Amino acid sequence: MNELGPVTRELLGFVRDGADDKALAARICQACVTGLDVDGAALSLLTATDARQTLWATDPVAEVLEDLQFTLNEGVCMDAARTGIPVLVPDLRHHAETVRWPVFAVAVGERTAVAALFALPLQWGAVNLGVLDLYRFVPGGLSEAQYLDALAAADTAALMLLDHRTDPGNRFGGFIDHALGHRAEVHQATGMVLVQLAVSAEDALARMRAHAFVHRRLLVDVARDVVARRLVFTEDMS
Amino acid sequence: MGGSEREQQLSRAFVALADTLVADYDVIALLDQLVGHCATLLDADAAGLLLADSRRELRVVAATSEDAELMELLQLQADEGPCLECYRTAAPVSVADLADTPTRWPVFCAAVEDVGAFRSVHALPLRLRGEAIGALNLFRAAPGPLPGADLALGQALADVATIGILQERAIRRGEVLTEQLQVALNSRVAIEQAKGVLAQLLDMGMDEAFDVLRRYARQANLRLADVARAVVSREVDGDALLAARRGRGPQPSEHGRRGR
Repeated sequence: MNELGPVTRELLGFVRDGADDKALAARICQACVTGLDVDGAALSLLTATDARQTLWATDPVAEVLEDLQFTLNEGVCMDAARTGIPVLVPDLRHHAETVRWPVFAVAVGERTAVAALFALPLQWGAVNLGVLDLYRFVPGGLSEAQYLDALAAADTAALMLLDHRTDPGNRFGGFIDHALGHRAEVHQATGMVLVQLAVSAEDALARMRAHAFVHRRLLVDVARDVVARRLVFTEDMS
Repeated sequence: MGGSEREQQLSRAFVALADTLVADYDVIALLDQLVGHCATLLDADAAGLLLADSRRELRVVAATSEDAELMELLQLQADEGPCLECYRTAAPVSVADLADTPTRWPVFCAAVEDVGAFRSVHALPLRLRGEAIGALNLFRAAPGPLPGADLALGQALADVATIGILQERAIRRGEVLTEQLQVALNSRVAIEQAKGVLAQLLDMGMDEAFDVLRRYARQANLRLADVARAVVSREVDGDALLAARRGRGPQPSEHGRRGR
């Protein structure tokens, strides 16, 4: 198989240094602009139906693109967030695209000189954390190597953000908990705890991580106890 | 199983798979069907399927039981074992008795002994242009080789899985393999999350929760991953899913029909 691309390597190289969500998003966006053939990038959170927030945009054009989509409730990043599937538009002025996003395509043409747009969802199972949006003034797709890199980078970015948001105090060490991406028990336990506490999947994961930290245990061991019904989360437990 | 009976089952399985491939299908459901066919049609007690993600790390995408999934996870955790070797070499790896190979994969073999569910493993690569994109693994409780005919059939089923993964969305848009794998793996995570929700809501085990999820998706003609997302976001309640299991029709209208 191919080697990891430069953007993914850059992201994996980030040391966990207490950067907040915004600083992290800035580094992810910058890594994309440096490593891929794009002119700008933005990272927005689109969680919990209507709560939308652009964490970072590398330049005013990237910011306009995010604002337009949120205002019009239409566009590449909205589709990526809804479907959990990357949306690649080599040329927004192409007829097929103007039909797909009639209002958005026209608005982008009026306000910017952007031609190509690539929206990569930041997905954690059923949960969409946000979207990484890339744009270029010159039309054309990403090369296969660039696209692979962008996908792996988005996947890494999703885990980093998830890590941040379920561990706001940076207490639990290692920035990507490798268990997170792989272990069925962690996902199953997340589902169980979200019912037990009537919270979102993200919050359920945060609670499990906090519990693991307080009791000096591994997240996966806590998850196993939840799945085996040896541990039930309640409102008032630590 | 008698020869002719098995042949009939086999033809039915391939016809069903072929049907799935021409329709607008659900890749996770297809892979799930495939491991199911492996366990029923071949001389195997359980089967599991691993796919490589965008960072080239293997992840479990389908398994006939929690035990089979555990076998896959043990190898991922130990970073060794027949399935990993099969993926790395893109060639089949057959182990008639894991007790005979303690030094080949020391960490994995010790872990398997602790679990005690399976003695033999047969790993078949999912191959594309000479490279492996994953591995199909057959597990048996008893030691012994897998008959040659079963190995050939298993490889045919693995090839169907590869085609299924490649086709799913390439039919509609010319996208690269990694994206399909990534979407499939993410769907898998969503399904695990949904299994947890159901296990808690309906007070059942994970295998049973998966069964409920699968039946509901099938009856409502929805994608498994879409149902999983609706379950995790609590847009569909446990009672509706239970009703599907009892054979009453679900009310799928709120969740959007299969295919976007």
